[in-house]
Amino acid sequence: MADVVISVEPRNEFGKGAARKIRRAHKVPAVLYGHGTEPRHLTLPGHELLLALRTPNVLIHLQGEGVDEIALPKGVQRDPIKGFLEHIDLLLVKRGEKVTVEIPVTVTGDPIGSAIVDQQLVTLAVEAEATDIPTGVEVDVAGKDVGFVVNAGDITLPQGATLVDDPEALVLHVIAAPAAALPEAAEGEAAAAE
Amino acid sequence: MLIPRRVKHRKQHRPDRSGAAKGGTRVVFGEFGIQALEHAYVTNRQIEAARIAMTRHIRRGGKVWINIFPDRPLTKKPAETRMGSGKGSPEWWIANVKPGRVMFELSGVAEPVAREAMRRAMHKLPMKCRFVKREVGEA
Repeated sequence: MADVVISVEPRNEFGKGAARKIRRAHKVPAVLYGHGTEPRHLTLPGHELLLALRTPNVLIHLQGEGVDEIALPKGVQRDPIKGFLEHIDLLLVKRGEKVTVEIPVTVTGDPIGSAIVDQQLVTLAVEAEATDIPTGVEVDVAGKDVGFVVNAGDITLPQGATLVDDPEALVLHVIAAPAAALPEAAEGEAAAAE
Repeated sequence: MLIPRRVKHRKQHRPDRSGAAKGGTRVVFGEFGIQALEHAYVTNRQIEAARIAMTRHIRRGGKVWINIFPDRPLTKKPAETRMGSGKGSPEWWIANVKPGRVMFELSGVAEPVAREAMRRAMHKLPMKCRFVKREVGEA
């Protein structure tokens, strides 16, 4: 996976007033931590970061005043309505270091007839080299019938990645399409609540 | 219709209508969702109507999740009643929905079908909503 180089500025003012001022300038307040180092507070450019985060587990090369590190996004806070980035937690990593990340599971193809895919896990926790994190795994369900089951251990992971999740964990299964089901609580229970 | 099995207090104050949703703002179970853009009290009847609108459109196939539960009672005094004499009787069960909340989720259907099913469901809900999809691989 290619690194994304982002220029950073150190952040010396804290609190909601300072954070809002940074966001008004289309920047994102961030914190960088890991490897037992003291947390460092940074400011990142909003647009570049937004584009970088479109790739899952993107490796970000941070460059700036006294900072020359590579990091992984650990926690991203977005505004739920407008979608802009509010804050980002960056985890310091080193080249060659193994990290545990969640990679997306993508389902391809359609099962037979009216059967549907019930996906229980949308991400898999894997351990991989920080500089060689897989972008995701694909599970093909084309032509599969009801009863087809895929567990975490059944998925072929990209080279260099090892599974951290329980291999017995259910990733997806093909089930018969349910008829319109009623919600769990029945109407008769109304009396009990009164 | 959704209703609590047992409640600690039959009559409650009206829920707080300010602020945005703190959690439940992403699609986590299904592939598509309906996200609230405004604050509203959603009654159990509205939830049921939205669910029916969705499931009737997708017919067989697909799985629907309802992420909100009408756990708050609202009371109402009878018409033409003088003020006083205590609080009115419970009339509705509502879910206090704040902007950003993903209320319904859907999976197992193609996107055009999901969009149309959710559009129909949105018409049954008392606030502005939007169709959202699951984001892939964000930390």
